[in-house]
Amino acid sequence: MKKLVFLLTLLATPAFAQVSADTANPFEGKADAAESGHALFGKMNCAGCHAYDLTGGMGPDLTDASWLYGGKPGEIYHTIAEGTPRGMPAWKDKMTADEIWQVVTYIQSKKQ
Amino acid sequence: MRKSLLAIILLCGAAFPALSANTPADKGTGKSATGNVTGATANLAPNDPAGQLTRQARDYANTRYSPLSQINKANVARLRIAWTFSDGQMYGHEGAPLVVGDTMYVVTPYPNIAYALDLSKAGAPIKWVFQPNPDPRAIGEACCDKVLRGWAYADGKLIYNLLDDHTVAVDAQTGKEVWRVLLDDVSKGPTLTQAAFVVGDKVYIGSSGGELGTNGWFQALDVKDGHTIWKAFTNGPDDGALIGPEFKPFYPWMNGKDLGISTWPGEMWKQGASAPWGWVSYDPDLNEVYYGTSNPGPRTPSQRPGLNLWSSAVFARDADTGQAKWAYQFTPHDEWDYDGVNENVLLDIPWKGARRKVMVHFNRNGFAYTIDRATGEVLVAEPFGLQNWAEKIDLTTGMPIVNDAAHPIVEKKVENICPPDIGVKNWNPSAFSPRTGLLYAGVFNSCMDLTNHIVQYIPGSPYDGMEMVRHAGPGGNWGEFIAWDPVQGKRVWSVKENLYVWSGAVVTGSDLVFYGTMDGWFRAVDARSGKVLWSQKLGSGITAAPMTFIGPDKRQYVAVYAGVGGGAGVLRREKGFMPGGNTLYVFSVDGAGPGNGATQLVSHAEAAAPVSVPPAAAHN
Repeated sequence: MKKLVFLLTLLATPAFAQVSADTANPFEGKADAAESGHALFGKMNCAGCHAYDLTGGMGPDLTDASWLYGGKPGEIYHTIAEGTPRGMPAWKDKMTADEIWQVVTYIQSKKQ
Repeated sequence: MRKSLLAIILLCGAAFPALSANTPADKGTGKSATGNVTGATANLAPNDPAGQLTRQARDYANTRYSPLSQINKANVARLRIAWTFSDGQMYGHEGAPLVVGDTMYVVTPYPNIAYALDLSKAGAPIKWVFQPNPDPRAIGEACCDKVLRGWAYADGKLIYNLLDDHTVAVDAQTGKEVWRVLLDDVSKGPTLTQAAFVVGDKVYIGSSGGELGTNGWFQALDVKDGHTIWKAFTNGPDDGALIGPEFKPFYPWMNGKDLGISTWPGEMWKQGASAPWGWVSYDPDLNEVYYGTSNPGPRTPSQRPGLNLWSSAVFARDADTGQAKWAYQFTPHDEWDYDGVNENVLLDIPWKGARRKVMVHFNRNGFAYTIDRATGEVLVAEPFGLQNWAEKIDLTTGMPIVNDAAHPIVEKKVENICPPDIGVKNWNPSAFSPRTGLLYAGVFNSCMDLTNHIVQYIPGSPYDGMEMVRHAGPGGNWGEFIAWDPVQGKRVWSVKENLYVWSGAVVTGSDLVFYGTMDGWFRAVDARSGKVLWSQKLGSGITAAPMTFIGPDKRQYVAVYAGVGGGAGVLRREKGFMPGGNTLYVFSVDGAGPGNGATQLVSHAEAAAPVSVPPAAAHN
């Protein structure tokens, strides 16, 4: 039963399953998704580390060309979902897959 | 009458300047332009040997006064590099090296590697290396770079904090770990960046994490084995804060039961931060320790109506039991991130015909407080730099009179609040000279445009809400180095600098003050006039405290780390801000030192046996 629920969940949110480095952002370039991501960036305290203008502070700059854990949409998704060994928390239990993609969309919209 | 007397003293001073500046009588309380100009003095206990440094501020009173005088106004311009040491770590360097016997001790920022350097050999080779391997998750939890503000030597051990909430003690002879204790859970946000402070058999540790919704604490550990002797939370119930019958705050608004709960909405005190991450002082006569607490959490004040006790405050506690004696909240209901953690320099001053035991505290909020340390009464509270958030501090109530235009507003930009979050001065420690009666401090000249946001508490993530644009104040210079009269509450002189002056200071028995700048200049200035007597450009900006010592060759050296970072990183996009670094520079007159000059073969022959030196950690 538990497995079935899990399977149904996967089917219901295809974006959450099997995100790889090359997975395309389902919301790529969508302004409304970027705006939702903007709100989440503040609400989930992302701005506390990466700054409200995304140029970093406590955590790395997200607007430059340097990506510690990869700058492809799927890689950014993975970093947000799983966190990093160097103190970035994992957000997969606190945000839905769609929400994480919205944050990815917002970050992509701010990259130089 | 007083004026004419002063004029006579001035004339005498001018006639015999050398005599006035150097005679022992100078250390007294008499006023003269060349002697002690304020009458302020300090107890320099524990009066360690003049050439050594076993604690960051040298004495319990936190004066950072060194009686050494081989390097003086006549030869300071001949200071040259004697040797350097790079530790390979790229986070901000903030502490001062310690020197005990023939050994120098330094500890890097994260990953907090300790080195013992053998001063008896040419080039000061590595004697041992200690790698504690702290948990890398701490990197993501430390708000303001991955720093360590200092370390202590006591009982044959080097004692210091690891970023991941451990305190360690290392055998100073062998470099082997003696004990290690875990004091908090880094995954929830707290870290340790404070400089461990030792008195007798106790080491005092305060937590960091003002921006992480932590529950700040301060505790005394046993130097022998690290076990906790007492622990006081900043906020919450009186029991946990060690507030009991001995607690007698000077101002009545800080008197009451469980104010660490009732001055917060609901249970918000549990994430109220108020972390004591700064300096600790100790008065051996009163047997009290003094330390300040950080900003309240979250930084958005509209989410936490109330005084928010005991954030942005100073505590006096019994050094043996931890019981609070008094407290004073500098910035009630702090709306601007004006932590109260800066150093408390313990002085004795002439005050209305009597001597008073006081502490002098340069607060982030821009006021320099002279407070009776036996009672908590504020005697002097005057601006020492640019501020506009308060009209003044009302000395009858101890409360600031807040300027209405300075209140932040959620989702609306409020322009030109001075100072910004980082204050008119930050943790960078000042120095006091018992010869001049003055304090010396690096200060900031800046303001902010502030937009506040509502935030939610998510353990292990920032609990913050301040969005700021900082800009330099009038004159366009971000920083200054000043001399301060703690009795009159006035500046005596200042040196303008391009960027924030975020280094510590040391003042010597020859009236030299050393400090560094974020654009990489290390300077010596005349303690009496502020005249710059010597400057040397180093390889990175300076955010560490300088120190001075006597080597085994009986020669005086001055040492400072160049490795800009920490909170100073807020100016990283300003012109002149230098890349990070990790080099300790050691200076002497003419650069003289064992093995230097035409003695290379000697230095080669005396090089130490190889030791395993760890690689640099990857920069985050």
